[in-house]
Amino acid sequence: MSAATTNTATRRPFIKSRAMRRFLSNKMALVGLAMVLSLTVACFLGPHLLPYDELFIDLRARFAPPGTGAHIFGTDPLGRDIAARLFHAGQISMAVGFAVMLIATTIGSVVGVVSGYYGGVVSAVLMRIVDAFLSFPSVFLLLALAAFIQPGPVMIALIISATSWMEVARIVDSEVKSLRNQDFVQAAHMLGLSGRWIMFRELLPNAIGPIIVAATLTVARAILLEAYISFLGYGIQPPLPSWGNMLNGAQQYLASAPWLAIVPGVAITIAVTGFNLIGDGLRDALDSRSQGH
Amino acid sequence: MTDQKKDNVHLNRRQALMMMGAAGVAGLMGPMAIGRDRAFAANADAKGQLVLAFSQEPTVFNPLMPHIEVDEGVYYAVFDTLFDFDPEGAFFPILAAEVPTVANGGISEDGLSWRLKLKEGVTWHDGTPFTAADVKFSLELPMDPDFRSFRSSGYRLMTNITVVSDTELTWEMSEPFAPMAAILASTYIIPKHAFDGVADKNTAPFSNAPIGTGPFKFKTRMAGDHIELEANADYHMDGPFLKTLIIKYVPDLNVMYTQFKSGDIDVVGLQYISPDHLAEAETLPGKVVKVAGTATFESIGLNMTRPQFQELAVRQALYAALDKTSIIDALYYGVPTPTETYMPQQSYYYDPELPKHEFSLDKAKALLDAAGWVPGPDGIREKGGVKLSFSNSTTAGNHLREQAQQFIQQTFKEIGVEMTIKNLPPAVMWGDYWMNSEFDSVVVGLNCLAGADPDTSDYFMSSMSPALGGSGQNTFAYQNPKVDELLVKGAASFVPEERKAIYQELQQVIRADLPFLPVFQYAVIKGWKDDVTGPAPNVNNRIDTWNVRDWARG
Amino acid sequence: MLRYILSRIGQSLLLLLIVSFIGFAVLTLAPGGPLSQFALSPGMTQEQIDKIATQMGLDRPVVVQYLDWFRHMLIGDWGTSYRDGQSVLHVIGSHLFATLLLMGTATVISVSLGSAIGIFSALRRGSVFDYTTMLAAMVALSIPTFWFGLIAIYIFSLNLGWLPAGNMYTVGDGSVLDYLRHLIMPAGVLALVDVAIWSRYMRSSTLNVINQDFVRTARAKGLTRRRVLFKHIVGNSLVPMITLAGLQLPMVLGGALVTETVFTWPGMGRLFLDSLGYSDYPVVMGLLMASAMLVLIGNLAADLAVALIDPRIRLD
Repeated sequence: MSAATTNTATRRPFIKSRAMRRFLSNKMALVGLAMVLSLTVACFLGPHLLPYDELFIDLRARFAPPGTGAHIFGTDPLGRDIAARLFHAGQISMAVGFAVMLIATTIGSVVGVVSGYYGGVVSAVLMRIVDAFLSFPSVFLLLALAAFIQPGPVMIALIISATSWMEVARIVDSEVKSLRNQDFVQAAHMLGLSGRWIMFRELLPNAIGPIIVAATLTVARAILLEAYISFLGYGIQPPLPSWGNMLNGAQQYLASAPWLAIVPGVAITIAVTGFNLIGDGLRDALDSRSQGH
Repeated sequence: MTDQKKDNVHLNRRQALMMMGAAGVAGLMGPMAIGRDRAFAANADAKGQLVLAFSQEPTVFNPLMPHIEVDEGVYYAVFDTLFDFDPEGAFFPILAAEVPTVANGGISEDGLSWRLKLKEGVTWHDGTPFTAADVKFSLELPMDPDFRSFRSSGYRLMTNITVVSDTELTWEMSEPFAPMAAILASTYIIPKHAFDGVADKNTAPFSNAPIGTGPFKFKTRMAGDHIELEANADYHMDGPFLKTLIIKYVPDLNVMYTQFKSGDIDVVGLQYISPDHLAEAETLPGKVVKVAGTATFESIGLNMTRPQFQELAVRQALYAALDKTSIIDALYYGVPTPTETYMPQQSYYYDPELPKHEFSLDKAKALLDAAGWVPGPDGIREKGGVKLSFSNSTTAGNHLREQAQQFIQQTFKEIGVEMTIKNLPPAVMWGDYWMNSEFDSVVVGLNCLAGADPDTSDYFMSSMSPALGGSGQNTFAYQNPKVDELLVKGAASFVPEERKAIYQELQQVIRADLPFLPVFQYAVIKGWKDDVTGPAPNVNNRIDTWNVRDWARG
Repeated sequence: MLRYILSRIGQSLLLLLIVSFIGFAVLTLAPGGPLSQFALSPGMTQEQIDKIATQMGLDRPVVVQYLDWFRHMLIGDWGTSYRDGQSVLHVIGSHLFATLLLMGTATVISVSLGSAIGIFSALRRGSVFDYTTMLAAMVALSIPTFWFGLIAIYIFSLNLGWLPAGNMYTVGDGSVLDYLRHLIMPAGVLALVDVAIWSRYMRSSTLNVINQDFVRTARAKGLTRRRVLFKHIVGNSLVPMITLAGLQLPMVLGGALVTETVFTWPGMGRLFLDSLGYSDYPVVMGLLMASAMLVLIGNLAADLAVALIDPRIRLD
């Protein structure tokens, strides 16, 4: 446990300098960062560089293999440019990923800090609920939810969030429990600060390291889960492209047009690997317990 | 009764050969019975095994309970109906000794009294004799208030069902109802004795161990995988010629096709070979591949209560802006046939003279301009505060349909019409959303007919719209007094020529009104190994196994 | 010990209660329903649908339906499938073998392969092998399972033609070899993520042990590297691995669902999707409960196993 946790104001730069240096010396993490950055740039700049609209249908140009004319990744069954769709889908998939990160991290942090701060019955109840959610295979729960709602990016982000907040809650809970009895919390109590102040101004900022790590990994997880449910047909619906729904239907053309399956799958793998590597790197950099290695 | 072609039995080669073999006794029997009755058939032993694949899983084995198409795939093997439609739309008897008609006295002139004679010496799979009491039971069960029945139309009109003898029964109709024969043709007869002493008929053991009179006995079911049926050696008709029939559930069309290619599957059934595989499938050695029309038609259904669709000009413009040729040729690989109506083109009642659709964006624009729909600042037309913008829904995950939808969306945009896509999971799409007409428009494949009968009252009668307080299936909420009149007239007539005129006029009225924009009549790509004989398309039945008793391996 | 087990079982039952309530609420409050599959059939009028809904009790308030379901559940009656009228336990039971076969094979592959890779990487820490496998593990963790399945089908079935693209066996064959041929791809695909997870944990677990005093002592006593390795490292790493196995269960189960879909494997995942498509609530609920139970039992068993193996942990 690092010693200097009395004041958030003095703690942050400490994290920045030491942790940042450690993060930057982690080759894997840098590879991850490069993957995510280049993919993000491609998704946001790409559509402006391509001569095609992601929605424009041209039946004469259907199933063009990659490299046909200006179709670098080929075309889909409606003759739409796959590259244009891929980049647009990337914006949507990543937006879903970040939305889930924000929602799930917020829910998880609140549940975790409340549980950790009050302990006792409150903690027992909240942590049992966390356990309940964790004991569902999340794909089962997600599909059960998704099968009966009107699918759209917002709803998909919400239901993925509903199955993704538990890790954060657990982490924050245990962090807060270990911080609860430290001097600065006792001092805050003596100053007569409210429970809410102590929870959100004192305890939560001190648990920020693990939260960041969990949040990064949540982005990866959310992108993956969106792909799962969209692949199974219950996710984001066409014509709006997402990486997952670009793969939905690709199985049908696997023999005749394999690029329909390969291209979005590679994009998903790159994005998820990238976020996972960054998360791993951050964990190593921020987690003081791993200093010994 | 309804059809003059009743004696013109459609025979495949095998049946024709058998008929010749039995020619010596022809004088003793009616022409129908010769080729088909077991006692006189040059009967071959049942041999070999055949694997028939479906992409949905048959799960309901009581044929009088709510079921889907694929379940009927099993029914035709295990059960028999009284009589059935051949591919030409003519009846042939199965459990009935002859098909009741006005001519043979089976139906009274006014259509109110029916008399049905049954074959003798038929037994159930468990050895119990089949009698008229079983038929009475099967006809009454659908109206049992505690029984979850598949349908009640037709049955509700039957009164006073009387067992005259083991092989004869009579009943009265409370009103003349021409589609009754077609409903009987899809009523599988189930054994009364299987329900003796059963408190809840919905959960009778029979539902999972069905007993029929059909060519195959139900042997085992491995849930989620396959059903094994074995030949019924005592079958009362010619056949079966297969020792074992395996109905295999293959949930993915690609896997199904791959396994057909590799020889693991002998016959590709329901959902069939997907159109993108047609070109390759036709070149496969040792396989027979056939494109066959079905009675299902694809259309863009409009919710007629929506303000956008009130004007005929709008519906005409949308129809003109529908690029059918591209949809059929490119997206569906030219497999289905363009159509102007709900009536299958193989039907006796089909009207070939309906006005032909013409794709023209200019014409569509002109129609809308003339009707006063002018483009707003966003390019979308509007009139009197109503924007020409609507959503279109269908089952999420139906790829070809989703492609067609997106293509239509683009062409509609060119004439200043905004069509948004709002697809829903199947359980949601076809629930209240569909039945109560909560949609703006849908892409839907419908088969409105019961067998070969042309009656479509449930779908087009004004009083049949659940959204407008009715209780039928008129989900387009279409109301037209002329249509109502024709439907009433058609259902009360038993003379095919007369009915033909009525239903052709009906098709003309609906074609002019466009409560739905007809796109195409479905055709499916069937495939089987070339040593398999028997599979034959039949637009009047919902599934391939209608003649599974005739199937054989070379 | 007994008290611990009992309290854990008590907690688990509470969890199941919460799980069942969430699941039931989600399913029954949603629009649509089990009768919508018949809506396109000729003759299935609104009147008929209403009649059947009443007969099936679908028109009752959700709370009443839930309490009814729950009461039956308590006495071991999981309800009846809407699709085939069989008892839910029977339906699930008949799909269990396929899923267990798939998951079992995948687990054997992932534990053995993952552990071997993990230990080897730890012993060669910082080597090219270590870096490559750990990067590969990260990529494997990030690949969507279903996509990996598609690519495997593309390569091994469509292009090379070595393995069947789906199903559990060929009808009429069903020999062990035939099962194996069908099993290789789905089990391999399902195992991929787990190999990655196992190798990562095994690596860090081994690293922990290597640095502990007794291993150094053992080396100092002159024991051979191999003996130290197997006696101490593997023995000590096993403890967290068992817990991990329990925690991994929901993921493996979720992965099985998707894998079964891609390879048309007739197991519980496939059943879940089919039942969902037909709104067969009793079966969906049954599967949710069964999988939650499986996970809880897995976790409990893992806890107990750890307690038995590791003398340092006492459960009361």
